[in-house]
Amino acid sequence: MEYGQILAILMFLSFIALLFLGYPVAWTLGGLAISFTAIAWISDTLFDTFVGVDWAFTSGIVDRIWDTMKNWVLVALPMFIYMGIMLDKSGMAEQMMESFVKLYGRLRGGMALVVCNIGVLLAASTGVVAASVTLLAVLALPAMLNLKYDKGFAAGTVGAVGTLGILIPPSIMLVLMADRLSLSAGDLFMGAFIPGMLLGALYIVFIVIYAWLKPEVGPVPPNREPITFKVIWGVVRAAVPAFLLILAVLGSIFFGIATPTEASGIGALGAVLLAAINGRLSWKVLKDTGYETTKTTGMIFGIFLGATAFSLVLRGLGGDDVVEKGLKALPFGPDGIVIAVLFFVFILGFFLDWIEITLIILPLIGPVVKDLGFDLVWFCVVMAVVLQSSFLTPPVGFTLFYLKGVAPPEVTTRDIYRGIMPFVAIIAATTVVVFLWKDLVLWLPSVAYK
Amino acid sequence: MAQPDAPGAQLDALLSSRDHIPRLPETPFSRAVDPLIEWLGRVSSVLWPILVAVITVNVLMRYVLGRGLVEFEEIQWHLYAVGFLIAQAWCVQNDGHVRIDVFAEHFRTRTKCWVELFGMLVWLLPFVLLVVWFSVPFVAYSFRIGEISEAPGGLPYRFAVKAFLFVGFVLLAIATVSRLTRVLAALFDRSGR
Repeated sequence: MEYGQILAILMFLSFIALLFLGYPVAWTLGGLAISFTAIAWISDTLFDTFVGVDWAFTSGIVDRIWDTMKNWVLVALPMFIYMGIMLDKSGMAEQMMESFVKLYGRLRGGMALVVCNIGVLLAASTGVVAASVTLLAVLALPAMLNLKYDKGFAAGTVGAVGTLGILIPPSIMLVLMADRLSLSAGDLFMGAFIPGMLLGALYIVFIVIYAWLKPEVGPVPPNREPITFKVIWGVVRAAVPAFLLILAVLGSIFFGIATPTEASGIGALGAVLLAAINGRLSWKVLKDTGYETTKTTGMIFGIFLGATAFSLVLRGLGGDDVVEKGLKALPFGPDGIVIAVLFFVFILGFFLDWIEITLIILPLIGPVVKDLGFDLVWFCVVMAVVLQSSFLTPPVGFTLFYLKGVAPPEVTTRDIYRGIMPFVAIIAATTVVVFLWKDLVLWLPSVAYK
Repeated sequence: MAQPDAPGAQLDALLSSRDHIPRLPETPFSRAVDPLIEWLGRVSSVLWPILVAVITVNVLMRYVLGRGLVEFEEIQWHLYAVGFLIAQAWCVQNDGHVRIDVFAEHFRTRTKCWVELFGMLVWLLPFVLLVVWFSVPFVAYSFRIGEISEAPGGLPYRFAVKAFLFVGFVLLAIATVSRLTRVLAALFDRSGR
């Protein structure tokens, strides 16, 4: 193996190890790009090696940042974030909560089903996990605990369902994936729709069966109202805003009326209007939404900047060759290699989150997978399903952090870990289904935009 | 704290969570520049509603007038680029960048300070300075040739938006130095205790 490739492997391993120092991920990535440029440059000048990575090479980071700046597709990212945060404050979810509870109140695990329904609707109207997990946790967790729901079951449901936002389009993760592999964000949105809904449906099936087998985890409230026409009408009315938003954003992309970037702006406007209609739009809400959008955008693009530098140097050292040769040397057929890749991503998901995996790992393995004859839209969606678990698997998972941050104090970390496990198993099962039945992904993009 | 009927407030609290290193002392330099960085971050937040408006107007024009304007499409990524670059310095100032703190949250404050010092001196500052260094010729070249948009009807003064690459990273450097002085004060300054 060449010296540069050894450096590439060292670079990746030191990233994983040094992350745990707790220094921001973004600058660990950017800094390691500089460190390994220095190492390569010193050994080229002093020890006559031929790595070929020097300061002039790494200065290419400036052009890469410029490419990011003028990237029109990525404009959708802060817009979807703005939309998600505004929706969080708009009161839409509270209204759905109130009326859905009346509909499902008579069922075992009814509250969990309410969470599932609202979660899927939220996920299809926006794509910011921080917003949907905190919203569902604040709205539903205290109520579920009051009804003596099992703490793990309650927390697990909220976490897993809240995380659906990143898979069900519109989703900021799919926008980033499309950007990294030069795919159409619209295709990925369409491709992820059915698998995302399937995962949501399987969560519902699990909740129904689990609450039926073990009634003590999701008891029925004592004072339940009968279901009248009025209750059903209330549910319909409460769901209208969500459906309008879904129609405006996903519908306009699906029918080729708007690009994902335009749809993101329109969706953000829709969220603002919704807040205004509900009387929630104040100067403070506008200001806070702006600040939080800046902070969240800053956080994601910080990692973007660092990962761009890291990937540039990693490639310069020959990291892409290492990955390609390594994968193709595996003693499996093409299917086996992709399964190995997905398993690797699943394991990485315990320690990394979706942003690093999407920005660093995906561009390295994407070309190899394409070379093996797979459709990249399909592969991205399968990977997006697997990456759901990166939010939920300890020790590092965004959803776990958010849940711990906003859950009532009696919900322990143990409860959360225990409650999340069955949902991770469902994610694994869905991955298998989507892997075997590629049309689940590829059918919708093939009929859209007509 | 947050009212139960205001879930948005919980997200606010989560996003403005505490600094990884609690009670980092202020220094003369940080007192001078941190308010400026924070002010810039807050002011730049107005870009997002403007961006929403620009996109909406452009979509409307496409359907009402039958065509969108190239200027409007370009101004979208101009706004977004300025927004995410300015946000970087604010994120350092309020410690908003993601950390993997499963282990690190159990470190003693002094250990955290040493890690922070190492990270800033060996990783963040060299990275930022490299970008600043190479962005100067990048912007200067654009200015010298009077670069404009390649698209017909596109925006002029391309150097102006390119200059924000430089500006954003200079601000990031200033925010980093400010935090550096605070960490140094925590580690070595015994005068205040």
